[in-house]
Amino acid sequence: MDKTKILVVDDNPTIRKGLGVRLRANDYEVLFAQDAISATAALVTERPDLVVLDLGLPGGDGFVVMERLQRNDRLASTPVIVLTGRELAGNRDRALQAGATAFFQKPVDDSTLLFAIRKALDVSRGELRFDE
Amino acid sequence: MTRPPQASSNLSVYLSHELRNALACIHQFGNILVDGLAGELSGEQREYVSIMLENASKIRSVLDSALDGVPGTPEECANKIKNVSKLET
Repeated sequence: MDKTKILVVDDNPTIRKGLGVRLRANDYEVLFAQDAISATAALVTERPDLVVLDLGLPGGDGFVVMERLQRNDRLASTPVIVLTGRELAGNRDRALQAGATAFFQKPVDDSTLLFAIRKALDVSRGELRFDE
Repeated sequence: MTRPPQASSNLSVYLSHELRNALACIHQFGNILVDGLAGELSGEQREYVSIMLENASKIRSVLDSALDGVPGTPEECANKIKNVSKLET
């Protein structure tokens, strides 16, 4: 059976590396993008099962990536978990309205992030509603 | 790292973003070590990394309390941080 594929989008290489180690240890296949343009390309070519998305990115921020995702019928249902260093005010509500499944400020506990990922994947596969 | 903004209204946003990214790296790799994902640690090594992580969590608490939601000036940020320091001690 194919592994679940997660796209990690963050312009900080150390954050990408740390998330990669953690996600691979939990048996996910991990792909990386460092800016909005390569993130959009990876979404189309790799069709990840879930995206962990930073908001502050070169080449257009995370909101731009979510907007592009939502405009593509084949990709619009891909769950997005926002993980950002930006402040809550103005960003959390905007991200959730833009289609994010969950919003976390850095640093987030690994167990919290992994739980949100599992739940978002279950919801996206129709195995669970998000309020369950 | 980008240059700090000159406009005081953006200072807390800048501080929050830069400190949260740095803290996230400490948090991620500290937990990777403690969880043995880079090899097993001795008891003493585990204790020391745990001390680092505890202190990173304290900084996170200060950040959560002091910076988010502060619209403003460096003076407002400094006062908030002083108040949080008093609560922590």
